[in-house]
Amino acid sequence: MNARTQLFELSMEGRQVDEAVASIFHSVLFHRSLGKFKYKQEGSYSVGTVGYQDVDCDFIDFTYVCCSSIHLDQTLKREISGFSEALRSTDSPGSGQISLEFFQKKKNRWPFQPECIPWEVWTVRLELIKLATEHERQICREKVGDLLTDKILYITEVMNRHDYLPKMPNQAELDLIFDTSYPDIQPYLFKLSFTTSGPSGSTMGNTMKKLIKETLSI
Amino acid sequence: MPTSRQAQSPIRKRCKILKFTMSTMKLNMQDKKDLDKFTKFLALKAAQIIVQSRSGEKVNTKCKPNSSGTDWFNLAIQDLPDVLSEAKRALCGEIVSSTIPLCIEISLRTVEGDTMVLETWSLGVLPEHSDPTIRVTYTVYNRMGILLKSLLSVTRITPAYKLSRRQGPESYVICYRIYMGEPQLHTLGDNYKHVRVGQLCTPVGTIHLSVSYRTKMTISPTQTGRDSIMLKSDHFHSDLSPRHARYQQSDNHTKSLSDTIKVGAFAVNKQVVVNEGDLVIPDVPFSSLLIPRQTSPPPASTVEAADATTPVTTDNNNGNNEKVPTDSPMPKCNSQNGSRRSSCSMTSANDDFIMVDLKTPFAGTNTNSDLGAFYRECQTAPQLQAFMEERTLAEQIGDLTKQLETFETNMHHYEDMLLSLCQTENNN
Repeated sequence: MNARTQLFELSMEGRQVDEAVASIFHSVLFHRSLGKFKYKQEGSYSVGTVGYQDVDCDFIDFTYVCCSSIHLDQTLKREISGFSEALRSTDSPGSGQISLEFFQKKKNRWPFQPECIPWEVWTVRLELIKLATEHERQICREKVGDLLTDKILYITEVMNRHDYLPKMPNQAELDLIFDTSYPDIQPYLFKLSFTTSGPSGSTMGNTMKKLIKETLSI
Repeated sequence: MPTSRQAQSPIRKRCKILKFTMSTMKLNMQDKKDLDKFTKFLALKAAQIIVQSRSGEKVNTKCKPNSSGTDWFNLAIQDLPDVLSEAKRALCGEIVSSTIPLCIEISLRTVEGDTMVLETWSLGVLPEHSDPTIRVTYTVYNRMGILLKSLLSVTRITPAYKLSRRQGPESYVICYRIYMGEPQLHTLGDNYKHVRVGQLCTPVGTIHLSVSYRTKMTISPTQTGRDSIMLKSDHFHSDLSPRHARYQQSDNHTKSLSDTIKVGAFAVNKQVVVNEGDLVIPDVPFSSLLIPRQTSPPPASTVEAADATTPVTTDNNNGNNEKVPTDSPMPKCNSQNGSRRSSCSMTSANDDFIMVDLKTPFAGTNTNSDLGAFYRECQTAPQLQAFMEERTLAEQIGDLTKQLETFETNMHHYEDMLLSLCQTENNN
């Protein structure tokens, strides 16, 4: 099965990276998170309620809506700031990409790990720019805000196409479709990964780190 | 309606498909009832989301593992009683599934009482596209939830959102109006934008939610002379365009330098012509420039009057557009007087001013060119002949020796004069 892929390419200042990526991924996850399922008896369950909140950006003229789940926000922040740091570090090539991948698990025979099959991938490819004056920064604040506006519209368009979503599982297989580790919401299983690309390529340490991270996150 | 039923058995599903293919109108009574109820709550919750997003406050609702009866679509949307009653009144017991859409209009009202419609959201049903096979209780309900999530996201990105966050009792407030009917888009001004929030198929048609919003954020100058609100937009009424104000700006800098030229060119040019009628300007440049300097600057009314009746000035403006420095801060919107003044001050142009040959709409061609020529002459005083051609040092020295020679040849004249002076002295 081929996963749907969406790619956003943006260029901005280093300090805008965290907020720009968060606004896109939070908007996607807001659409891809349900209330917590509570099973009453076989074949019947109740669904919890998803709360939401407005988030104002500090370095971009932009406000977005996300699930009011601290835990989800922490997960996102952790991964995004890792990306942001790598991208903004002195030996960074100044460009890179971060992906939000939704997947479902497929049980394998013991002792193998379940297979992860991605069904939707959102990638944000970023290029850092350097600005000299405060005036330029002000323009960039607005420009990135306008760009994100277009991205949010695109996200809502995709969400309302009602393309493939994994089938609602029964109680036993809930964990194969949804991430049930959050106490307040139930997003579809997702993972985040990033690379910083460029002439220097990724260092061995980074690659190993990424490998370990990916292994652990599964 | 937080409870969802598990998957229906395949047999039942097949029966349902069969039923719908026979006649789309034969919708299961229970499903029909559910669909109407869902659609009604979709409309009510959409109204809440839109109006609350324009309150100027940041919204924050909590996740609830156990949802209550009012938590429709598994979304924690609060119900403001005022909005709820307004929306119910507009719906009037009807449901949106009729072909008439439900509209929510967001407008801005200034302290002075001027209003401007910012955007109109509309929720409607297109009966042409229906999907009789779709499951109402599960699929439609969930997709309505997604549509409301999209609505939450989109309400934060239209221009009215930023405006609503900046509202205040001393500047402007945001108002809403809920009505049934076709969206009144003419109130949104020229070049309004239309954005589709989302749509979903139901057995009776496609529910669609969209917004049309204003892009020109200037209150018409006929309504107010003042700019009471800070509105950020690049679209201006042509009279209030920043380029006119730029002239004003340059006026401030060059006023002292240009007073003479400015006056000569427009306001008192008649005086110049009358008083110095026979003056040949290119030959005697300084006298022509000195005359207006002696006169006091003309009163503003004169300037306006002269300007108002002279189409050239406005045309000059256009001709001069590209020459203006483009980097100037956003101007305050002024009344038409402002632009008039600015069109005058334009004549304070610097020495790189270029007169563009223009076709004036109301003037004869001959007079136009005369005036143009006259203006050109006034605008740039001719150079002194001394500076016209660079003369070499040798030439200049040659001149001097020539002069000395003439002085020497006239020596006896001077001596005669001296003698005569001495004699008159003696007489005294």
